[in-house]
Amino acid sequence: MTRKVLIVDDDPFIRKLIETTLEDVGGVRVVEAGDGQEALAVADREHPDLVLLDVMMPRLDGIEACRRLRAKPDTADVPVVMLTASDRFEDRAKAAAAGADRYLRKPFSPLDLLRLVEGLPKRRG
Amino acid sequence: MSAVRADQLVDVVRLRAEADAYARESQARERQLHRYAADLRETFIEERARTQELRDSYVATVRALTNAVEARDAYTGSHAERVTAYGLALALEIDPKLAADPQVEFGFLLHVIDKVAVPDGILHKQAPLTEDERRLIEEHPDTGCRILRHVDYLTGAKSVIRSHHERWDGTGYPDGLRGEEVPLAARIFAISDALDAIMTDRPYRRGVPLAAARSEIVRCAGKQFDPMVIEAFQRIPDAELELIRQEIE
Repeated sequence: MTRKVLIVDDDPFIRKLIETTLEDVGGVRVVEAGDGQEALAVADREHPDLVLLDVMMPRLDGIEACRRLRAKPDTADVPVVMLTASDRFEDRAKAAAAGADRYLRKPFSPLDLLRLVEGLPKRRG
Repeated sequence: MSAVRADQLVDVVRLRAEADAYARESQARERQLHRYAADLRETFIEERARTQELRDSYVATVRALTNAVEARDAYTGSHAERVTAYGLALALEIDPKLAADPQVEFGFLLHVIDKVAVPDGILHKQAPLTEDERRLIEEHPDTGCRILRHVDYLTGAKSVIRSHHERWDGTGYPDGLRGEEVPLAARIFAISDALDAIMTDRPYRRGVPLAAARSEIVRCAGKQFDPMVIEAFQRIPDAELELIRQEIE
């Protein structure tokens, strides 16, 4: 079964970049959301194998979105990778506290992104 | 300050904030794109190194196979390597692209592979072959291609291997191809093979000097050999062919 990754970023340019990298090179299916609020709805509906979550977003930021994903039984176990700005250490601490599994510094290396997604266990069931 | 001016000020502040946000966003995008470019460069360099490695291992494999076949036949020595060098010089004279095609080189080197099926008694014979012996060899013309049939990366080479005994006038074997039906690389090969055969000492006769070998080959233009390839052959200086001969003993 193809793995499914939820990309959450308010910049459509970055979403497109990640989508192209993961779908064309990584052979992964991608679903998208433009902010934390939308991310929760899409995660509920799509059951992704991984969530790539930007921190700074309108409406609901990535930290809060991560916390809420963790609070719901349906999405409590989904691996979350936070996309953090490289110069904001406090983001990383907050991301860890909110239950993120990993973080990827922006600007991220597409090769790192691919390695991260390829190392992902396939979703059971 | 009038009400209109205050409105304008609010607009200016708002526009500036928007412009700043937009600038930050573009910078972030630009940094991200640079990161992609850096990875792409790295990947490209690695990929090229890997391709080169793969190509080197192909060449090594083909040479190993060639040497293994030639090891059975003490008289030919480095025949395959010499013929390949003559052939590539000739290919370069006709079309540099052809000379750069590794399949052509592989085909030249591996033309000896059908010797695998030739009995020792015939291979090591100290005299010219009898009619029966010659027929036996010609009955197994596609041995080489059969041995290599599952080796996909040698697809181009196989056409040379199959057709290197064809003749321009259609009297060759195994398929009796005529003129340009014979693949160009095989037409080239036929001349370099003949050159090496004529010039190399055999148990039953001495090798012939280059000038004599040349005229013997040129005499067969339009019969055994493609006249166009013969013309190219005539443009290659003696010194170049002598050098190949000296270097590959």
